Amino acid sequence: MKRICLAAVLMALVSVGAGPKASFDPKLPVFAARIAALPEGPGREIAARACLTCHSSDILRQQRLTEAQWAASVKKMTGWGAEVPDDEKDTLLKYLSSHFGPDNDRFQPTETRPIGR
Amino acid sequence: MDLRSGVTRREFLGAAAGMAALPVLAPAGVEEVRPGRRRMLQVNGYAMCAETPLDALTTYLTPNDLFFVRSHWVSQAPAPGTWTLKVDGEVGTPLELSLRDLKAMPQATVTCVLQCAGNGRGFMRPIVPGVQWNHGAVGNARWTGVRVKDLLDKAGLKAAAKHLHTFGTDTPPGKVPPFHRSLEIEKVREDGVIALAMNGEPLPPAHGSPARLVVPGWAGDHWMKWLSRLSPQAEAQKGFYIDVAYRFPDKPGDPGVVFKPEEMHPVTDLFVKSNITDCPTKAKVGRPVTVRGFAFSGAPDIAKVELSADGGSTWKEALLDRQHDPYAWRLWSFAWTPTAPGKATLLARATDSRGSVQPKDAVWNQSGYFHNAWHRVEIEVVA
Repeated sequence: MKRICLAAVLMALVSVGAGPKASFDPKLPVFAARIAALPEGPGREIAARACLTCHSSDILRQQRLTEAQWAASVKKMTGWGAEVPDDEKDTLLKYLSSHFGPDNDRFQPTETRPIGR
Repeated sequence: MDLRSGVTRREFLGAAAGMAALPVLAPAGVEEVRPGRRRMLQVNGYAMCAETPLDALTTYLTPNDLFFVRSHWVSQAPAPGTWTLKVDGEVGTPLELSLRDLKAMPQATVTCVLQCAGNGRGFMRPIVPGVQWNHGAVGNARWTGVRVKDLLDKAGLKAAAKHLHTFGTDTPPGKVPPFHRSLEIEKVREDGVIALAMNGEPLPPAHGSPARLVVPGWAGDHWMKWLSRLSPQAEAQKGFYIDVAYRFPDKPGDPGVVFKPEEMHPVTDLFVKSNITDCPTKAKVGRPVTVRGFAFSGAPDIAKVELSADGGSTWKEALLDRQHDPYAWRLWSFAWTPTAPGKATLLARATDSRGSVQPKDAVWNQSGYFHNAWHRVEIEVVA
């Protein structure tokens, strides 16, 4: 498994245009493992912008939800401030449902080092 | 409570089987996990969430750096030198205590299990949204700090107080609801500890430094990290993480049936559960193999762990380790001798000191809490 330093993780986040807005306290441990990019496809940039502010792509990539479940999730998250203009909602929903639907079996947790003390 | 009879029974069984108990750890020691097993499984890069692989959960005390982490938000760990814990609300004397103040109070130590309410969510069918934990959002640690009772007595708890509102320093962005919680005063005053240390070390940042709430026997959503304020109140806290999340159906329905929040209650006591942590993938007919694991519950102790090699028709008792504290897990071992070649399946189930038995299937619920179906492993047996 390839390991990269914190700075590289943050740069990787910025590179998908969706780094977390909250600043990291350097005293807190942050995973030094690679955070995978979201899969390519229409709606990827919307998902990156709307979802990756509060959590990494891991959370999306491990879901196996029906379109109805994704619609409920998007409604919940936009209520919490995820930025999805109305004219982008359908594209986002299709992106999430097609990549992370009930048949999604691609996610494996990333093996990391023990968590620093 | 049947703790005393449980111990007697275990000792009898251990003697009857002619088997030595597993070694008891030195009081201050945290046994090392085998180097090849020392890794974590990241399920969220930020806010940090990671589980422990089952094969690393082999020691009575889970090492701090292998202990699962669940964070709702990218957190800000307070600086221990300037951090204070405020106590206000239904008290006679509001307090603001530094870490030094807390360390100067009488210190208590409890050893108990911490499990995420959602541990095992990934096994729920139908599938539910949320962090798809497998088996490893659980660990057992020694927590040291100030008893909640002592703190509330110092503040002069008023009779009107029924719920302890808890606040941490993690702050979500934008309109995301804060992770503010409350729990019954009766429980937290009886058993709760403001932990400043974990397994003899200062509480690590990922686990809520400088202080977190420890609620033995209850799910992790009550164990507030980066604790900043405690406020006894007459009523429960309001908000998403009390009124909507972390609730379990009063009368669960068939899998897939969804309930309104008012038809559910907050998750509290852990459900009885056992996992197999050590088991060979291959075995030979007639040659015994040793299977090991842990078992825990929201009850103070485990009465027995049983294994089945015939799909649950018949069960045999495992040997429980003597090492135990109230609400801690029990390590167990089981010698199994395969009798026929082919693919074998071993099942494990636990029974707690209140008589609750780990079920064949977990109770499906819409948030995926407390999955505790019989744990199964497969072994290839050759002649």
